[in-house]
Amino acid sequence: MKFTSRPTAVVLGLTLAAAALAGCSEEASGGGGTDGGSEASACAPEDVTLVGQVRNESNPYEASWLDGGDAFAEQMGLEQQRLTYDGDSTKQQEQITQLLAGNTDCLVMNILPNGDSDTLPIVEGAQEAGAFLVTQWNKPSDVNVEDYSQWLSHITYDGVDSGQQIGDALAEAIGGSGGIIALQGILDTGAAKDRFAGLEASLEANPEVELLDQQTANFSRDEALAVTKTLLTKHGDKVKGIWAANDDMALGALAALEQAGRTDVAVVGIDAVPDALTAIEDGTMTATVSSDGPWQGGIGLAIGYCVATGELSVDDIAAEDRAWFAEQFLITADNVADFSAPAVDEADFACDNVFSRSQGAIS
Amino acid sequence: MSLRDAGPPIALVVIFGIFAVLSPDFRTVGNVQNIMDAAAVLAVVTCGITFVLMMGSIDLSAPGVMGASAIAVALLVANNRNGNDLGLLGVLVAIGLGAALGCLSGVALVGLKVPSFMTTLGVSAVGLGIATLMFSGVQPNISDEMLHGWAVNRFLGLAYLTWIAMGCVLVGWLIQRYSRLGRYAYAIGGAEEVLALSGVRVAPFKVAVFTLAGSFYGLAGVMVTSQLSAGLVQAGKGYDFAAITAAVVGGTLLTGGRGGVLHSAVGVLLVIVLTNGLVQIGVSPYWQGGVQGLIVVAAVSAAVIPQRRRNQVTK
Repeated sequence: MKFTSRPTAVVLGLTLAAAALAGCSEEASGGGGTDGGSEASACAPEDVTLVGQVRNESNPYEASWLDGGDAFAEQMGLEQQRLTYDGDSTKQQEQITQLLAGNTDCLVMNILPNGDSDTLPIVEGAQEAGAFLVTQWNKPSDVNVEDYSQWLSHITYDGVDSGQQIGDALAEAIGGSGGIIALQGILDTGAAKDRFAGLEASLEANPEVELLDQQTANFSRDEALAVTKTLLTKHGDKVKGIWAANDDMALGALAALEQAGRTDVAVVGIDAVPDALTAIEDGTMTATVSSDGPWQGGIGLAIGYCVATGELSVDDIAAEDRAWFAEQFLITADNVADFSAPAVDEADFACDNVFSRSQGAIS
Repeated sequence: MSLRDAGPPIALVVIFGIFAVLSPDFRTVGNVQNIMDAAAVLAVVTCGITFVLMMGSIDLSAPGVMGASAIAVALLVANNRNGNDLGLLGVLVAIGLGAALGCLSGVALVGLKVPSFMTTLGVSAVGLGIATLMFSGVQPNISDEMLHGWAVNRFLGLAYLTWIAMGCVLVGWLIQRYSRLGRYAYAIGGAEEVLALSGVRVAPFKVAVFTLAGSFYGLAGVMVTSQLSAGLVQAGKGYDFAAITAAVVGGTLLTGGRGGVLHSAVGVLLVIVLTNGLVQIGVSPYWQGGVQGLIVVAAVSAAVIPQRRRNQVTK
C-alpha cells in the first residue's frame, strides 16, 4: 500500500503517537496496581467493570449463572458484561486477551475456564494486567492460587460428594436393594471421574445395591437416550434405578424409560437444570444436586468487587478461602419448591459473607 | 446390486452375526427393534448428506440446521413457552427452515464460489445462532400429543419415528433413481465439466441438492425434539460426522459419483449395530471409542477392496 497525500501521513503519525502515549500511561497505572497491592489503588464503586464469562447461553445452568451475575451487578448499580465462548478454548483466550488489552484497573472477572489447561494463561494474563480474577470449576491441581495476588479465589464443588449424595438418594428410592445402571460423563474430565468415584463410595455403603452396567453418554441428553434404551433391553426388569452424572443425561434416560413404557425406575442426576426440577416436582425423577448457578454468577463478581473497592484485601483472605469447595444442595421432592424459582440472596454477596458457603479448602 | 457394492452389506451381516453369537441379549427381538429405533434420526441425516456427497461436495451444516429446526418446532407446537399450537403445520415450518438454511449453503457455494466445506460450516454457525436466539435461556418443552407420540407410539413393533425414517430412505431412493435431480447429482460428482459442456446448467441443481439435504436435517431436528420432548440447541451435535461416517462406511465415496441412499442406509445400520453390540457384549466404556474406530476402519477397508483402484480417497 502507498500513501500519496500528505494529510494521510500526518493523521497516521498523530494517531500512532497518541496510541503510544495512551499505551505508556496505561502501562504506568497498570504496573502500579500490580506491585503496589490492591488496596493502594482502591477503585470507586462506580468505576468497577464486571465481566462474567461462561461457555454458552444455550445451556440453562450457564445462562442462570450470568443472570446471577446481572443480579449482583444491579445490586451495586452496575452492569455485568456477559461473555460466552461456545466451549471453544481459543475463543475464550481471545476474549480474555481483548479484555485485558483495555482498561484493567478496576476490571473484575468471574470466569468459567473451558478446561483445566485453560486456567493458567487466564491467570497469568490477569496477573500481568492487574485485573481481579475469580475462577470456577476447572484448575490444574498443581497450580496454586496463593502464588498470585490478582487471582483472588478459585471455587469448585466436591464431585465425589455430589456423586455419593445422589447415589445414596437412589439407593433409598429403590428400597436399599436392586440393580442400577450408571451413565457417566465425558470420561476424561475431572467431574465425570469424581462423580463416579462418589457413586462407588455410595455402592460400598449400600452393599445390596448392584451396579449392573456403566456406560458413558458424554453428558448429552441425546446420547443418554440411546444408551439407556440399549441397557434397558440388555438388563430388562433387573434395572430399578439409573444414576446419571448430570441432569441432561438423567432427562435422556427419562425419555428412554417413557418410550420403553417403564414407570418403575428411579432416576437421579446432578446440576439442577430447570427441566430436572420440573421432573422432580412431577415425581418422575428422584433427586438432583445443585451448585446454585445464580449464586456462582454473583459470588465471583462479589469477591472481585470487594477487593477492587478495598473492602477486602487479598492478604486478609484466609489460605483455605483461596481455593475452596462450595456448598451444594441435594434436591428431592421435599425441598424442590425452594429451588424451582432460582433467585439470589443479596446477603450472600456482602463482603463479610462471601466465603460463607465454604466447605473447606480443596485438598 | 453388483459385486462391487456387496462389501458393506456383507460386513453388516458378519458383524451382526458375531455379536449375535457373543451376546444372547443382542439377538433378542427387543434389541433389534431398539437398533432400528436408534438408527432413525441418523438415517434421515445421512439421507440428506448422501446427495451432497454424491456431488463430490461435503456438508457440515447438520448440527446448526438441526438445532434451529429443533428449537423452531418446539416453539411452534404446543409447548411451555408460548401459546402456539400449530401441530403438523409447525413441523412443516421447521422443515422449511431447514430447507431455507440448506438453500443458503447452496447459494453461497455457487454464487460466491466458496468451497462447500466453508459455506456449510458457516451455515451451521448461522443455524446455531438462530437456535440460541430463539432459545433465549429457557428450555422449550413440548406438550404436543402428536409430536410426542411419534417417539412413543409403535406400529408393528417399531416407533413411528422409525417408519418415518424408512419413508425418508424410500423417498430418497426414488429421488436418486428416478428424478433428474438425483441423476444429475451423480453426474456432477462423476464429471461436472462434461455435464456443463453438454449444456446443463449445473448451479440450480447444486442449490436444489443442498436445499433437499437441509430439509432432511430439518426433519431430523424435529425427530430429536420428538424423542426428547424438548427443543435443544445441541440437538444435532455430532450428527455431521456420524452421518459422513455412515455414508462412507456404506460405500458412498467422498469424491462423489458413487454410492447412494441405500448404501448409506446400510452404513447407518452398520454404525448403530456396532454401537449397540459393543454395549451388549459388555465392552468397557473406556475401550469402546477406540474399538469402534478400529472396526469402522476395518469394515471400510474390507468393503472397498473390490474398488480399490477407483477409490481416490485412499491417497
